[in-house]
Amino acid sequence: MSGNVLKLPGSEAPRAKYALEDDTGFDEVPKKYRKFYRRWGGRDDVLAPNEVLCPVCKVVIRSNRELRPGDRVYCMACMARLRVVQGPDGGLVADVEY
Amino acid sequence: MSDPAEVHALDPESFEERVHSFQFWFESVQGYLAGREYGHRPDAEDPPLEESERDRLVTVLCNYCVGETAALDGASGLVAAAPNRLTKIFLSTQVVDEGRHLEVLRHRLVELGVERPEEEVERRVSPRLRDFRQRLDALVAQRDWDAAIFAQNVILEAMEFSTFHMHAQFADPLTRELLIGIIKDERRHIGFGETELGRRLRVHPTLRDRLLRVRSQLDPLVLATFEDAMSELQVPRAEREDLGRSYLGAVERLGVRA
Repeated sequence: MSGNVLKLPGSEAPRAKYALEDDTGFDEVPKKYRKFYRRWGGRDDVLAPNEVLCPVCKVVIRSNRELRPGDRVYCMACMARLRVVQGPDGGLVADVEY
Repeated sequence: MSDPAEVHALDPESFEERVHSFQFWFESVQGYLAGREYGHRPDAEDPPLEESERDRLVTVLCNYCVGETAALDGASGLVAAAPNRLTKIFLSTQVVDEGRHLEVLRHRLVELGVERPEEEVERRVSPRLRDFRQRLDALVAQRDWDAAIFAQNVILEAMEFSTFHMHAQFADPLTRELLIGIIKDERRHIGFGETELGRRLRVHPTLRDRLLRVRSQLDPLVLATFEDAMSELQVPRAEREDLGRSYLGAVERLGVRA
């Protein structure tokens, strides 16, 4: 992953941009989408600022930019639509949007 | 439909259309089923099991076969009751998944030396799982979309997801491979059930009381069945704490709780 900074219009501060590697070993979605997901390593797995855990199926969702509260992400493994929010411990978590 | 550089930039309608398609299903399952024969690599290691271990595994697989048959009958019956094209198409992919699960589990029984799998399944099935199947069949026959999807895609599928996941950690190599393939399919099924019901509850909040009644009747049957499976497999009690976690998380998010 790279740490280049991308300035997005309307954001309070620039977001870090991430180059996602093509193959994370996650084989449950079509090949062209695999870089956006990876397996979760359990409770000791530390998520990067561009990652959030799907609460439905426990797959790590990845974005090519730093995630912030209010962002929408999709879990293609379980087809859930999610909204990134601040968790109780200050980290980012995903809420399911119905 | 073009593919954006960032999948999360898709608009919700495009995402829904894409993931509820046979095209998406086909490209997804290719990733983990290509080259497999009956759910495992043809050259997968298959060390002999102790007779008592083999017998316990046969009992568990027989019950899994009943769960998968219930889901196969349920999903196929619900295609006609599905409210729109996308749910019909998704459920038809689920039918294919469930049929495959039943086939690979039955085939594993044959690999374990069971000569008449159907008779063995009848002999070893848990009465509680049989009861659950009959109740699910009744909901499907009534075309009770909400209750049947809740029973099948939330209660049954979530419990299978957790149980197979736990079983895979302790299973022989060959059984492990086929369970992992099934778990990958189950992710789609549980996600579909939760999302579909979540949307309907948003529009019809009073539906929650009905689903709560369905839950109170059905989830003890399923929880007890899969707890029995874990006992049969001699999974340490401490390891079983996570058994209901996926299911309980789903009902909590949907607000279907007493």
